[in-house]
Amino acid sequence: MKREVAAEIVESLKEAGVDFVATLTEANLHDLVMALGEDQAIHHVPVTREEEGIGVCAGAYLGGKKPAMVMMNAGFLLSTNALATVCIHPGIPVLLLIGHSGGVGEENAGHATVGALTEPVLQAMHIVYEKVGRFEEIRPTIRDSQMLARSSRRPTAIVLNKQALR
Amino acid sequence: MKRYECLRAIAPQFGDELVVTNLGAVRHEWQSLRPHHGNYHLQNLGLTSSMALGLALALPHRKVVAFDGDGSLLLNLGSLATIANQHPKNLIHIVFDNECYESSRGAPTATAGSADLAAVARGCGFANVGTTRTLAEFADAFTRALNANDLHFILAKVEPGAGDVPAAALDSQENKYLFVRYIEKSENLKILTSTLSRASESPSK
Repeated sequence: MKREVAAEIVESLKEAGVDFVATLTEANLHDLVMALGEDQAIHHVPVTREEEGIGVCAGAYLGGKKPAMVMMNAGFLLSTNALATVCIHPGIPVLLLIGHSGGVGEENAGHATVGALTEPVLQAMHIVYEKVGRFEEIRPTIRDSQMLARSSRRPTAIVLNKQALR
Repeated sequence: MKRYECLRAIAPQFGDELVVTNLGAVRHEWQSLRPHHGNYHLQNLGLTSSMALGLALALPHRKVVAFDGDGSLLLNLGSLATIANQHPKNLIHIVFDNECYESSRGAPTATAGSADLAAVARGCGFANVGTTRTLAEFADAFTRALNANDLHFILAKVEPGAGDVPAAALDSQENKYLFVRYIEKSENLKILTSTLSRASESPSK
């Protein structure tokens, strides 16, 4: 991810009211994770496993924070039980920013299966999501996805494609 | 000692502390001993410690107590590393270790073998770690943790067996709303959004 894209995401999260972010890094997310760690207005919790981050975000919500989770799609797939039991079942919103490996533009054959599963699993879980690539889409999509998460008391997702990640 | 006896021994010390309970009988035991809107009963095995961490970080001036279990923590050992690095001074992480999956008919967990969760916590960077085997040790460790301003991990080695208590009459949605409304009121926060009436926007004449 380019630094200006990472900076735009951080500023957009803050503008949308997000003040607490759990992350699990990856090469494509590195600049975003580092930028979140440096930002004083956001409490950053690097986690060891993505489903752990879902639990941390849900707890932060109960304490009045506005949380988001940054991870790759492999981590989203790992987090499905946590999202179902901790967020969707009781009604707890978390904004999910999901890097989409294995989608259009992917050069690594090993990511294709995870890439193909990502959207069907989001749909199966009834998680409303938007796919984002172009710079100018980032700010309105983060604002609107966060709005829906808060009003619906459910997780919502933004799937960052290769255009945003490279 | 049994888990229910441990909970009964410390319940009188609770005021406005926030509690996250693990899946299983502990939620019913705790709700019967301390019925309070500041109890959050998690319906997930594994994330008790992580939920408690998020809550403790969000409200650093409120004491947060996690009632975790060995089977749960073994699913989420990495959370100990995250908690130790975040180091919330207001969190007390209690693990009732009965060395089995009691709610799943009692097959042994890894702590029935060689695993020592207190050693894992120490290795992850927890400074205040205690293993307790008697009620007096447990109650004493809890009192010290409650009165201290630092992160604590208490491992309670317990025999299997649940307290003779009624099932807690709370479902997850109800529990969430009661808990969030309690936090909103006690912390003067607005957590749940509400939709304004649009009547005021309509032309008046």
